[in-house]
Amino acid sequence: MKEKLYPFHVGVLIYMIQSGVIIMSLPRLAAENFGYNGWVALILLALVSSLNILLISLVHRLGKGKSIFVLLEMSLPKFVWLPLYSLLICIWASTGCMVTKHYVFIFQMVTYNTTHAMYLKALIDVLVFLLVIKGIYNISKAVTVFFWVVQWMLLLLLFFVKDFEWARMTPFLFAGETHIMEGSLTMFSAFIGYELSLLLFPYAENNKKFMRAVILGNLFTAFGYIAVCFVCFGFYSFEQLKNMLYPLLDLLAFIQLPFIERIETLLFGFFLFTTLVTTVMYIWSAERTLVRIVPKAEGGMLVFLIVAAAFVVSWIPDTITEVQEWLKYLSYTETGVAFGLPVLLLLILLVNKGARQ
Amino acid sequence: MRSIKRLAAALAVIVLAAGCGDQRVLERLAFTKAVSYDTAPEQDGQARDKLLVSIVIPKADPQGKMKREVLSAIAKSDKAARIKFSKQTELKIVSGQLRSALFGLSLAKKGIWTYLDTLERDPSIPQLVKIAVVDGNAHDMLARLYPEHPLPGQYVDRLLEKEAESMAIPEVTLYDFVRDYYDDGIDPIAAIVKMTKKSIEVTGIALFDEDRYVTRIEPEQSLIFACLRQNFDKGEFIMDLENNGQDDAQVMFSSIVSKRKVKIRRKSGNKLEAELIIKLKGTVLEYTGDSDLSKDEIRHELEKKMTAYVLSDAKAMVAMMQKNKVDSLGLGKQVRNSMSYKAWKQLDWDAVYPSMEVKVNGEVIIKDYGKSK
Repeated sequence: MKEKLYPFHVGVLIYMIQSGVIIMSLPRLAAENFGYNGWVALILLALVSSLNILLISLVHRLGKGKSIFVLLEMSLPKFVWLPLYSLLICIWASTGCMVTKHYVFIFQMVTYNTTHAMYLKALIDVLVFLLVIKGIYNISKAVTVFFWVVQWMLLLLLFFVKDFEWARMTPFLFAGETHIMEGSLTMFSAFIGYELSLLLFPYAENNKKFMRAVILGNLFTAFGYIAVCFVCFGFYSFEQLKNMLYPLLDLLAFIQLPFIERIETLLFGFFLFTTLVTTVMYIWSAERTLVRIVPKAEGGMLVFLIVAAAFVVSWIPDTITEVQEWLKYLSYTETGVAFGLPVLLLLILLVNKGARQ
Repeated sequence: MRSIKRLAAALAVIVLAAGCGDQRVLERLAFTKAVSYDTAPEQDGQARDKLLVSIVIPKADPQGKMKREVLSAIAKSDKAARIKFSKQTELKIVSGQLRSALFGLSLAKKGIWTYLDTLERDPSIPQLVKIAVVDGNAHDMLARLYPEHPLPGQYVDRLLEKEAESMAIPEVTLYDFVRDYYDDGIDPIAAIVKMTKKSIEVTGIALFDEDRYVTRIEPEQSLIFACLRQNFDKGEFIMDLENNGQDDAQVMFSSIVSKRKVKIRRKSGNKLEAELIIKLKGTVLEYTGDSDLSKDEIRHELEKKMTAYVLSDAKAMVAMMQKNKVDSLGLGKQVRNSMSYKAWKQLDWDAVYPSMEVKVNGEVIIKDYGKSK
């Protein structure tokens, strides 16, 4: 019997895909776009992403857990699905590698300031390659280990209890200068990643627990984000928060132990794991899609091609602002995919059902 | 299997080689421990807008007589000075271990935000750098040789830390200062230190309006200031009380746990009124009067006297701050939180604050009074 992904592993996987370096700037984004107590917006965004997952679970139920590629190819002619697949491959592969490059750029503000960014990125890409060729079961096992390596860090928030002040939170909600629409889109990119659960259908146990795990993973992501942002709003003053590019980086820099200080360099290293998982899963998704186009090609070769191509593309943006700009547009498109793809699949399923009846 | 080994070997080479990129050899680094900023002394009518920056770095040379090195430069900015320092030393100057940033009084009066912004922007500089104002010239204080304290950077840092523990001065780090600077409902503060003949001394609290030094709290008053500003659970101070209408009695009030509350009320004509309620609980460790503290009524009498003492000082202090237009107690935060966003934005807090009525109430409770009657 083929090995299946357990619900717990699915939940962890989704959580790890979603969390990434964006959490570094998320509190600032919340303050900038939603004004005072902007962290509350995350609750709303978590609801939106949960609704999106419900849409995906509908696809799962109606399609009886069949692979989305099978569903698509069953009903659409090749000249339609081929460009669609190519587009998805481009989006996923570039999202995957830009996330890494963003991480490297932030990492370089702390250490290795003058080493060539692409050199560090190449090192991470080697890890990505090695993980992706192992297939989804091994990825998910590795991810579960990474999860425990990273997760204890939420407890670090306890360091900030002493300097946390309710008065700084203010009773205002979404007051001040706000950019609700653009801000929602930008901040929603923090939740992006759950849509890859569409590709997990054939690998997971075909029951309700699978989708429940995806939702729980998403809620856990939301919990982490909200906890961090909430602390930031009470720990920093509002205008200060708006002025900090990476509030979480500063938050980490605040932690001081009696026997060691300046541990943020070390702590920031842990974020490599969440970034790595995000990249791995996007590259894996791109590879799964590419396999449908060239079914006879060897898996490892395809992964290598995708990683190499993405590496070349990621060479183009040269400054941190450019990378952020790229990521912004990629995440907008990815949000489109997250909503568009399940809707398309649902339409196909409903039409098929109607035709059968 | 062979291919995996080859891959592992290749990986090992890459990873190890990466370590050669950005090297930091401990012996070749100069860890800046303290930095000072002053307005540059005027020379030939120029250098008015320039800055005198000095840093202290500890020396790890076992044969060397000097345990530290002081570098100074006159430049337009902090980083420009750093480049000049670099030309004066064989070591690579790094600021990851910076502990204190000291500002000369004359510079503090002009405003220090530009320099704090530089500190804040550089990711290598810790958030917990202590900010202090030097009563006099900060460079002289750092450059001076203190025979009993060979490392002035560490000396200042530990002094500030220890004094902050007993609430003699607030512990103000880069984080605290920048946070309060940006907050529209509070003004920042910092410790004041002064060079004496043999040592460095903490001499009060500097009150800022935004980033400009305006006035100060004397060291004897600093605990009352702390009571008005925040809750704390470790503090001590001495009160001079009247004793039976004759001479003075001193009370040393120690192990103080203090709680403060702020109430904002709206009086007729939409005028704002604030009430600060402070509650101090502690131990009497020294009493030079001639009353018997074990008697309840006498102790309550003493508590009343102490309360009156604290409140009268507190009221005078609040009035002084209002007169100087510095909201160092953060009353603005409470006022802001008592109204809608629109009302707060319409309120010109800087104009309202000096004339606002602020009441101070509270009580002092003697928890215990030591081992004797």
